[in-house]
Amino acid sequence: MHEYPEGQPVDFAIIGTGAGGGTLACKLAEYGFSVVAFDAGPYWRPLEDFASDEMHQSKLYWTDPRIVDGDNPIQLGANNSGKSVGGSTVHFAMVSLRFRPEWFKSRSQLGYAVDWPLDWREMWNYYTEVEQVLNISGPLRYPWGPKRPRYPYRPHELNAAALVLAEGAEALGIDWTPTPLATLSAPHGLAHPCVYRGMCVIGCSTNAKQSVLLTWLPRALTAGAEIRDLAMVGSIEHDHAGLATGVHYLRDGRWRFQRARNVVVAGYAIETPRLLLNSASAKFPDGLANSSGLVGKNLMVQSNQAVWGVMDREIRSYKGPPSLAITEHWNYTDEGKDFHGGYSYMSQGPLPIVWGTTQASKRGLWGQALLDAMENYNHQVGLKIVGETLPRERNRVTLSDERDQYGLRIPRVTYSFCDNDKRLIAHSLKFMRQALEVVDAHDIWDEDDDTCHLNGTARMGDDPASSVVNADCRCWDIPNLWICDGSVFPTVGGVNPSLTIQAIACRTADRIRAMARRGELPSL
Amino acid sequence: MRRVPAAEARRRALASLQVTARSLNEKYSLNAPARTPDPEWRNAVGRKLNLSSALLSLSVLADSGLEHYRGSFQNRLMYLPLAVSAATVAASLFGIADARAKSHAVRDGLYVLAGLTGATGLGFHGYNVMKRPGGLSWLNLFYAAPVGAPMALLLAGVLGRGAERIRDDEACTILGYPAGKALGLVTSAGLAGTVAEAGLLHFRGAFQNPGMFLPVVVPPAAAGLLTTAQFRPGNIMRRAAKLGLRLTALLGFAGVGFHAYGISRNMGGWRNWSQNILNGPPLPAPPSFTGLALAGLAALSLIERGSHD
Repeated sequence: MHEYPEGQPVDFAIIGTGAGGGTLACKLAEYGFSVVAFDAGPYWRPLEDFASDEMHQSKLYWTDPRIVDGDNPIQLGANNSGKSVGGSTVHFAMVSLRFRPEWFKSRSQLGYAVDWPLDWREMWNYYTEVEQVLNISGPLRYPWGPKRPRYPYRPHELNAAALVLAEGAEALGIDWTPTPLATLSAPHGLAHPCVYRGMCVIGCSTNAKQSVLLTWLPRALTAGAEIRDLAMVGSIEHDHAGLATGVHYLRDGRWRFQRARNVVVAGYAIETPRLLLNSASAKFPDGLANSSGLVGKNLMVQSNQAVWGVMDREIRSYKGPPSLAITEHWNYTDEGKDFHGGYSYMSQGPLPIVWGTTQASKRGLWGQALLDAMENYNHQVGLKIVGETLPRERNRVTLSDERDQYGLRIPRVTYSFCDNDKRLIAHSLKFMRQALEVVDAHDIWDEDDDTCHLNGTARMGDDPASSVVNADCRCWDIPNLWICDGSVFPTVGGVNPSLTIQAIACRTADRIRAMARRGELPSL
Repeated sequence: MRRVPAAEARRRALASLQVTARSLNEKYSLNAPARTPDPEWRNAVGRKLNLSSALLSLSVLADSGLEHYRGSFQNRLMYLPLAVSAATVAASLFGIADARAKSHAVRDGLYVLAGLTGATGLGFHGYNVMKRPGGLSWLNLFYAAPVGAPMALLLAGVLGRGAERIRDDEACTILGYPAGKALGLVTSAGLAGTVAEAGLLHFRGAFQNPGMFLPVVVPPAAAGLLTTAQFRPGNIMRRAAKLGLRLTALLGFAGVGFHAYGISRNMGGWRNWSQNILNGPPLPAPPSFTGLALAGLAALSLIERGSHD
């Protein structure tokens, strides 16, 4: 790996190496820019470092102290963070979905929330690029939306839990499909195909998972980028003119400074606004890039409610990737809804400790009742949504006065569902209950308070007064400061965001190259 | 272009006409002796076909053994192809060893049984595809019981029956048709089906290794040449068909090697053989191509003989 000296400015210092930062680091390095990408987490070698142990693998999550409040305080950690090189894609469920085209213009075309400054047709091409790089295994015909090119690899075989979703969907007369997944269904390069261990969400130890760690980052290193792991960036420095000059970061127990001509923040929806707010200075007393006052605001979770039941036949839902089948029916159908937005739902395969915890904390079982319920583990089935929530300024990331182990102010994450969000959740729970009833599941119960994926907090837009960055992920206030991760999403849609984040990163890299060639980036 | 003197050109033209006339005379002369294939020769062709049946049924025995074991013999009928293909292998070995130039009732009966079992298997595998959510879909064709696999047993039966008929029939016909053509068509159809099966499963594997294109290129070419050779007599076409079939036969063996490499590409490779052999690609599948190619070569020798008669 090439290493850059701290004293000389690199073209790009990128903070975060997940779906946004890792992808961008690769593309920019391949375009000939000098790149140092920082990550607070370690650079894992999954074949040696990962164990088949849910507790041990919590080392992949961001479990630093945070304060959560609001009507629906978010449970942070496992399914909405990552503290590793490769970010949360190291332990994501690999679900790789495209946005519904109308979502990019949801205000003007669907009548709610705000429009994106991006055009879906342009994004469609970037989705294709990412799907090729991740060797997505997907269906030959996707039932919803405009035509898309064939996925590079064929779909995986369905497990019994996915077949339950399929049977339910067919009985209710809606479409379903094998989920497009970023895990190999055939060998690729040195990687083996998926062996269906089912431990995907605690980190794939076979390297079949096509995470940022295994796809973009090896390419980034080959192209000359440096990945600086175990490096926690605490603030971004700027000069008198208000241009970013580099980043202060903690590594090996002491604070250091890396000079840079451009700084890219890619820390996801909590760490990104936290860093911008923590970098407040005399010139920018409200934090960097915050002239709109929107840094940290419009935080959007995705609702992640589920309906669970028991089948008479054996299911063993933990075999294989957890979400092998999906229906996006309620993402693409606008009739029969009493809410704005959409949701998809997928089959589930919770690992034993997560399942036990769910039974105890969400269902309230304890003692003999809990033991009895756990006896049904092999017969358990569930359907779980990824649901759209609407952007609200009251949902936000701010700074508390407490400080963490780095001496940095701890983020306070405030979240409440709005009435629309609650109507969407109620609709989904009712529908999924029917989908389990028609396949003769019994002991059906609703898990009604889970969330996943965090987005928003530094939204992109066309107007500096109502957005933090423009369509190129470039801050309105500081022209050599960029934000490239899920925090730029103006809306979230009802699909997992990783593919869209990577597509945006690819687009941003192309735009940076184009602008640099035209001499529109004075710092380069 | 180099100019040739007129006299020399005339001489050459005359010589080539003479050659053509001589060959036409040989081919269509009424004085040529009529040759009925002798029993030994017919027995030899029969043995070739027995060998082809043996290979096909051996492939079925190993493949269905592996795959049905993987499926935990959930349905008792899943034992049936093992028993029948084992019996067919035995019958075929008996045929290969049998020096008597006539059919044998036990062999004949077993081949009928193999054919019927293969046909029944097609029905069962088709049902297995259709009963799953999605019905006739790519997903189910990829992962349900392979629709084409039982066809190998059906072909083993049909070719074995052919072997018996040729031994008995002096005129060398099957169901009233010249045996060469009939077997040629069966082989071409069998190759087409086997290619479809390999193509489907290699498509499932996204043709991730360029070698995966071989069985969808070489055998179809051979089948095409074999079919053409039946309707357009001529040495060149027959030779080309023969070459194609030999390459296909070779590919059947090479395929086992390719699949062995494919198994090594799974997690744990051959060190984890007990799981990875089951995981595939199926080691015993490619020799079906060899079995069919040998049948094609036997058909070709019948056609060759027929064209000399």
